[in-house]
Amino acid sequence: MHADRTNRAMLTLFALLLIAAGAAAGAASLGFFGTATKHRTLLHNAVGDSYGRQGDWLWPVTALVALLIVLLALRWLLTLLFTTDRAGDLRIDSGGGKGRTTLASAALTGAVTEEIENYRGIDSARARLVGDPAAPQLVVTATVADCADLPALRRRIQTGALAHARATLDRPDLPAQLDLTVTTKRSSRVT
Amino acid sequence: MRIVNRLLAALLALALIVGAVLLIIEVIAATLGHQQALVHWHQSYAWAHRTPWQQGSVRVAAAALLVLGVLLLVAELKRPRVSRLPVATEDAGAQDDVAFTRRGVAAALRAAVTDVDGILAATVRVKRRSVSVQAQAAAQDADAARALKEPAAAAAAGRLAALQLASPPRLSVRVARRSR
Repeated sequence: MHADRTNRAMLTLFALLLIAAGAAAGAASLGFFGTATKHRTLLHNAVGDSYGRQGDWLWPVTALVALLIVLLALRWLLTLLFTTDRAGDLRIDSGGGKGRTTLASAALTGAVTEEIENYRGIDSARARLVGDPAAPQLVVTATVADCADLPALRRRIQTGALAHARATLDRPDLPAQLDLTVTTKRSSRVT
Repeated sequence: MRIVNRLLAALLALALIVGAVLLIIEVIAATLGHQQALVHWHQSYAWAHRTPWQQGSVRVAAAALLVLGVLLLVAELKRPRVSRLPVATEDAGAQDDVAFTRRGVAAALRAAVTDVDGILAATVRVKRRSVSVQAQAAAQDADAARALKEPAAAAAAGRLAALQLASPPRLSVRVARRSR
């Protein structure tokens, strides 16, 4: 999910700018802004004239705006390339003591994956913790053999592995997303 | 679409950075009295100074911008293809968001239909509100293929019910005879 909403918003904004620029240029070209505009040259307009008359201070201001755009675009690009939605290590409540206990999220997701993969009818499983480490969400994807009892298996994952994860973290309200997919490949665990 | 969006976003961010950096360099160069630093913008400036709005190339560029913008806008606003179909949650925990993936539903129905005696293969398409199953009978005879429609539909409906989806999609099953 990381940056996906920003990407969509920025690309939608870019599309609207393209439409606005194309429509305005097309309208000027076809004479919707008057026949005088149609015959004028591209730079013969209010913006072009302003830069011509007051370029001494307008160009440096434009350069400063460009610098701001560079910084924002750089931040956007770095977010796109280097951030992840995965939660880092989780802090465990140590009961008011001075010590600090952390749990590597890979340890929890590894245990959840292993438990689910040991259920009869499961072909494979994958788990990850996403979001803020203070309020993470457990996301599990399980591939189920098509001959398995799907409702029973789903309940077993919910009451087994997901419940155990909540108990381990002492977070009964830990939100979990369980995605089940079905494979026609016969699992070796199915008897 | 998410991957395509990330790629387009990266390209747009990169284009913004390159464009803005070039502009800054040219403004600094012009302030310091140099004519051009990296971009031969004088030629473009001269072209824009002598080209009227009614010129054909301007109209083509305007049309291209408009078409590109509309295509991108439609792509961004289009509802994405359903990727997961939620399971009815009357017995699920309040914190659990359980769903079958679109491919999972398709695989489950395909397996159920191809398990019917006389069905050779099946293609399943899963949409938000409908599922269509196109099965191929082993027989070349049209009557034999038609006779398989009911058991194939029953198998598909049974498997769909077993998935206990929150909003079960409408099911349509077609069985075609083997062509040769």
